[in-house]
Amino acid sequence: MTQPIVAEALVRRFGDLTAVDGVDLHVDEGEVFAFLGPNGAGKSTVVRMLVTLLRPTEGSARVAGFDVVTEAAAVRRSIGVALQDAAIDPMMTGNELLLLQSVMHGLPRSAARVRGPELLERVGLTAAGDRRVGTYSGGMRRRLDLALSLIHEPRVLFLDEPTTGLDPTSRQSLWEEVRRLNDEGTTVFLTTQYLEEADQLAGRLAIIDGGRIVREGAPGTLKEAIGSPTLRIDTPDSHRDSAAEVLARFGEPRPCREGRVAIGLAGGAGGMAEVVRALDEAGIPLDHLELDAPSLDDVFADATGRRLEGAE
Amino acid sequence: MTAARADDQSADDPSAVGAGMEPPHRGSVLAQAVELSRRSIRTSFRNMAAFIPGLVFPLMLAAVYSAQFSRALALPGFPKVDSFLDFIVPASILQSVSFGATAAGAELALDIEGGFFDRLVSSPVARVTILIGRLAGSAVEALVKSIIVLIVFFVFGARVDGGVGAVIVLLVASVLLALAIGAVGLLLAIRTGSQEAVNATFPLVFVTLFVSSAFFPTELMTGWYQAVAQNNPITWIIDPLRRLVIEGWSWSDAGLAIGLPGALAVLTMAAAVLGLQRKMASR
Repeated sequence: MTQPIVAEALVRRFGDLTAVDGVDLHVDEGEVFAFLGPNGAGKSTVVRMLVTLLRPTEGSARVAGFDVVTEAAAVRRSIGVALQDAAIDPMMTGNELLLLQSVMHGLPRSAARVRGPELLERVGLTAAGDRRVGTYSGGMRRRLDLALSLIHEPRVLFLDEPTTGLDPTSRQSLWEEVRRLNDEGTTVFLTTQYLEEADQLAGRLAIIDGGRIVREGAPGTLKEAIGSPTLRIDTPDSHRDSAAEVLARFGEPRPCREGRVAIGLAGGAGGMAEVVRALDEAGIPLDHLELDAPSLDDVFADATGRRLEGAE
Repeated sequence: MTAARADDQSADDPSAVGAGMEPPHRGSVLAQAVELSRRSIRTSFRNMAAFIPGLVFPLMLAAVYSAQFSRALALPGFPKVDSFLDFIVPASILQSVSFGATAAGAELALDIEGGFFDRLVSSPVARVTILIGRLAGSAVEALVKSIIVLIVFFVFGARVDGGVGAVIVLLVASVLLALAIGAVGLLLAIRTGSQEAVNATFPLVFVTLFVSSAFFPTELMTGWYQAVAQNNPITWIIDPLRRLVIEGWSWSDAGLAIGLPGALAVLTMAAAVLGLQRKMASR
């Protein structure tokens, strides 16, 4: 079977700015694939090319077996799309939007009348179906947005930052729904700037930075490749340089928040005692010390030399 | 550029693309247009804050004018008319319609700003139905407002000498003008994607109506004001409409009153469709 999402050397320029700079993608049937990256990394631009909203400047992509440029209409019929910020007309009710979306996808109204309530129930919005969307909370909007993108039972689903700005509970319930859809066989392509989201949901992920994919693989494999755990310490400014010197004896420095020193602890957790002793001998006071098993955060930092905002 | 063309047509032949994972279904263009029209009609009536002023302001103005200017009827050169109220029937209707006539554009701009437009164009919808849907809302709103204004005028004693035919021409002309102005709004929305830009055109529409024969006959104007008013398309539409109201039925006036806004509407709608095609081709 053809892979539902294939991109080859995708490039998109806006004037002088190269937003996407040669992206290759191969997503398998039934996979949850996450695109992880900071704001402005080019995530949304790639998604917009894959869902036919933007034309690639160079390269090509096939989605659900169709070329996104020459067979755009067929791509649109085959995919479900929930773009950033849940763009929904606030003057309409959930039921009305579901009906509109059905007709846009060519479903007869009679079928839409059955499918709409089913989907509302699925995302837990049955009671709010006749309320105007303007009265919905952020989480309810995202759930309705998801329901709308499912109206024609697409085999491939695109979710652009589906939980950005949501509270933890709403985020959890959206994750559960994505898992359920995936269990039913839907291929999901999602973008996120949350490490945890990629870690929780994705079978495979790609880290994108500056319009290029800098790492790709299963979260577990990527973390294993980092190998050593990360040791971070806080120490007063005056001792930071000497602390870095001492720590450098135990492993390679790693990027971290300003004001801290971090290394990949080469000997693993067993080497901790020695590190503490060495710091003590050098007379370096410790405000804080932590040791973390390799995380996606480390993978991201290793790939880009930076930390994702909000991580650590 | 062939790629651009293929992308623009949502209704291209599905059988031509056999490599897909599932047979994509073709949506009915008519059903899409109907559903999008329902949406814009529904939301324009839900947005009462925008609907009501378009009724209240022209009616208040009509009340003030007909109280103030009733003696103007005696001026030499003023058309023979039973009351000032009769004289401004077409003006008040068109003014009421002009309120909110650019709303189609403002709503489309909102859809573009908010991303709903992207939702629509990432579904297999025929692009032109997005514009049809928006204009349908404006047309129905214009019709309803015109009918309400007419009823209020009738209640206060206005008379349409051209009879039922003239009333129908009044309503058709107002709907066509709403379409013409609405399509300009759509084009602006497509070109700028900004609601502010579209809304900024309303004062222009508003002033254009005042610098016409709407509230005063051009024969009694002087200087540049007269020159502008005489060359204002609104005057060309208002004058035959008014003759239908105060003089009686005439086929030639009916033709002018419908033909002019009709031609304008065709032109501006064609421009909006072309504008949308260009926007889609240049993404």
